[in-house]
Amino acid sequence: MIEYAIVPHWFMGYNIILELIFFVITLLVGTYALKIYQLSTQRQSKLFGISFLMIALAYLIQSVLNFAAGQSMAQGCNMQSMSLVHYLGNAGIYAHIILFTSGLVTIAYMTLKIKDAKAYLLFLAAILGVLAFGSNPIYLYYVISSMLLVYISFYYLRNYLQSKKTNALIILIAFLFLLFGKIHFIFSINHGSFYVAGHFLELVAYSLILINLLTVIRRK
Amino acid sequence: MSKKRARLQIIYDILNVIKEKDGRIKPTNVLYKSNLSNQMFDEYMGDLIAKGFVIENRSKSGRTYSLTQKGFDYLSKYQMIVDFTNSFGLSE
Repeated sequence: MIEYAIVPHWFMGYNIILELIFFVITLLVGTYALKIYQLSTQRQSKLFGISFLMIALAYLIQSVLNFAAGQSMAQGCNMQSMSLVHYLGNAGIYAHIILFTSGLVTIAYMTLKIKDAKAYLLFLAAILGVLAFGSNPIYLYYVISSMLLVYISFYYLRNYLQSKKTNALIILIAFLFLLFGKIHFIFSINHGSFYVAGHFLELVAYSLILINLLTVIRRK
Repeated sequence: MSKKRARLQIIYDILNVIKEKDGRIKPTNVLYKSNLSNQMFDEYMGDLIAKGFVIENRSKSGRTYSLTQKGFDYLSKYQMIVDFTNSFGLSE
């Protein structure tokens, strides 16, 4: 199985709960964005909704994968079950990487405000191609995700500077926390404490996104 | 005010003009009351018809427009749409 992070023993279980929380929040945001798309037929809302649903699925797979890994370690394994865990583990990690990266690519494409499916597919294929053929896909995934989050954060910085509104500032800070979280995950390949820090930074980020969503829903 | 907010606002204004006339209004009245150029009007109205917000009715006396249920839904949920798109930076 690909080693994607060192998980401190005491943190096992908490990581699964946090990933399920991220799954629920991103699922809520994605679903609500698609509801807005149904009402307005606004393309940006559709792309945003799809991207958050992809990210939600990525977290669900990650949490199931971590749960399965934890269970197999707790029960002890024979050779046959080890190879199954190995296979499922690799498939799960790749599914998570593909979905999360595709989600970020879709948000980045949304911010470009262009309407060209070929450009989107080229953008997506180039990034997934690098991940597929790179020598260390996990490390590349963290680096590429961080680069995409830098770009997306700049977009939200510009958005805040134009609007000067609190909710625009909240979403900017949320994406900055997601960026810091991903940067921490780069180092989690060798240090478990970064894995924990990455999760808590993401928790702050998704809590801010949830606050933003709840603020909109309450105003209704 | 952002460009997208203006676009959402223009759509709201067009649909509201149609609604205020009990759902049937002639193109010239919409054009006048929504304060759009001919080109902009054609573009927006074509888009609204294609996306199912408005129905174009043709009769001997000329063309009229009426709202679909989707058009009424847009008007009632307009503030929610604007709040969401502004909050998450989804303006076009």
